[in-house]
Amino acid sequence: MIKGYWVILRFELFALFVSPATYVASFYFLALLGVGFRFFIESFVLTDWILPPLASLVVGLIFGAPALIPFLTMRSFAEERRLGTLETLMSAPVSNLGIVLGKWTASYLFFIFITLASFCFPLIISFWFPEQAESLGFDKMEQWVGTLTFLLIFGASFSSVGIFASSVTNNQMVAGMLTFTLLTLYLSVMMFYFGENIDSQFTNGPAQLFWSCFGAIFGGLNKMQYFSVGIIDIPTVLYQLVVTFYFLILASTQIDQVKK
Amino acid sequence: MSNERKPLPIVEVLNLRKRYRSTEALRGISFSIGKGEIVGFLGPNGAGKSTTLRILSGLVAADSGEAKVCGVDLAEEEGEVREHIGYLAENNPLPEDFRVIEYLKYRASLKGLKGSRKRERIKSVLEICDLERKISEKRIGNLSKGFRQRVGIADSLLAEPRLIILDEPTIGLDPRQSAITRKMMERLRGEVSFILSSHILSEVEACCDRMIILSHGLIVAEGTLVELQKKFIQSVAFEIVSKAKKIELQRSVRKIDPQCELLQDDPVEITGRRRFTFNCSKGQETVELILRTLLEGNNFEISEFQVCRPDLETIFLKATKQNWQEMDLLGRGKNKIPKPQN
Repeated sequence: MIKGYWVILRFELFALFVSPATYVASFYFLALLGVGFRFFIESFVLTDWILPPLASLVVGLIFGAPALIPFLTMRSFAEERRLGTLETLMSAPVSNLGIVLGKWTASYLFFIFITLASFCFPLIISFWFPEQAESLGFDKMEQWVGTLTFLLIFGASFSSVGIFASSVTNNQMVAGMLTFTLLTLYLSVMMFYFGENIDSQFTNGPAQLFWSCFGAIFGGLNKMQYFSVGIIDIPTVLYQLVVTFYFLILASTQIDQVKK
Repeated sequence: MSNERKPLPIVEVLNLRKRYRSTEALRGISFSIGKGEIVGFLGPNGAGKSTTLRILSGLVAADSGEAKVCGVDLAEEEGEVREHIGYLAENNPLPEDFRVIEYLKYRASLKGLKGSRKRERIKSVLEICDLERKISEKRIGNLSKGFRQRVGIADSLLAEPRLIILDEPTIGLDPRQSAITRKMMERLRGEVSFILSSHILSEVEACCDRMIILSHGLIVAEGTLVELQKKFIQSVAFEIVSKAKKIELQRSVRKIDPQCELLQDDPVEITGRRRFTFNCSKGQETVELILRTLLEGNNFEISEFQVCRPDLETIFLKATKQNWQEMDLLGRGKNKIPKPQN
């Protein structure tokens, strides 16, 4: 069913690692994130921030994702469609789902690489300034696991949105802009409902079910408070997986359209 | 002999149809291709050649009809069919950033080749396609059109497919590079079946065992060159180089065939002889009779005699013109389209 997955994954990873655009984007992104983190840590005591300081990295990565994800995903299908190599790829004995999953995994792994690189900032503080790190809560393993999990599940859904956007056009720039727009919209809706209990308006019936699903998907940012202290909210993980698979299936359907 | 089993054809197509919105690209075509055969696909632009090739390679789904490759139905086991096919797409799209060897390794892995077999096959196709080590280390984006085309062909040969589909493989190539492509097909003749789509008729004539001519989504002609010559060109042209006078020669020829027409009469440099070109509508046997009579006569001092075989271009134009006339005569109304051949 996913024939060719590993070969495509290796090829896509290789393509990402040899592309200068990926390095430039990663460097600027990490540099900005590092500067932001440094100023946040410095002024942390003066703010009324209620979450652990490690959560500031999550906020930086999540709200920086609309700028980062397009660089990782816009090439994947749009460039292949422009060059016509998608046709050559599809003439080999590989499945559509294998192609989509291979490309998505490659960009997701790069996102994980950037996430792990960004976690080096608190690690550096822990290494050079252990006392300050302890007072900031960097020694609490559950916070590391929780924030990392939160980033991994949102990274998966964000990169699947990017893969879908890349599959609908043969212009890299259009794919990039579309990813940026979709992710910004997604984050805007989540921000709009931040701190609100969306599904409490209805108590039963189909409206309650709808708002419950809506709340689960678009109220994801609300759950950051749990993840940042090490509580893994399983429904949030599952809902983000649903979003991931939904966009990957859409991308696969879009690729299937080429055959018609 | 009658009990002998006929080998299973590599490609079997039955009543294949495909429509793109308002355009009917294929109107029910049927054909088959045997093992080791090299078949030329000819037709004007928009005839349905590329659509047929894309359906056979599993890139496009047909609306109706049946297509089998190596006995496997495309509609049911599309993935399995791709394992038997090597496909070179029109315009040969390739990734620019990769070195030739990297690309071939990637394609070999995609086609399921591993370990020593993968290395062996890559080495073999590099040799077949004349891509020496220096070229294989270059980036594809830096290669000339000819080398890029060879990389595409090398890719199509990688998994030792039983059928190779080449869509315009020599387009934009110089004569030397086209000859290399032909040489490659010659090397594999008998082992692998080829479908070659091309607008270069001389090339198809030179290397194909059989031709299929498409026009407006229909097969308008199919067969070997000799069969097509017989079918489409009823008259035979022949040339005589002689010292005879035009009127005398014409009179002698017309005694055997009164309809035989003198087409040309040119002097042959300084020999004092002339080259006469006649057109005989009664076929090869009459032409042979004319020659025997003229030679027995001894008056004409014939130094050369040659039957001019019509080339593929003449046949192609005749076959497609017939179809075009039908389309024009019958109009473009939906009900007036000619019936497909089955």
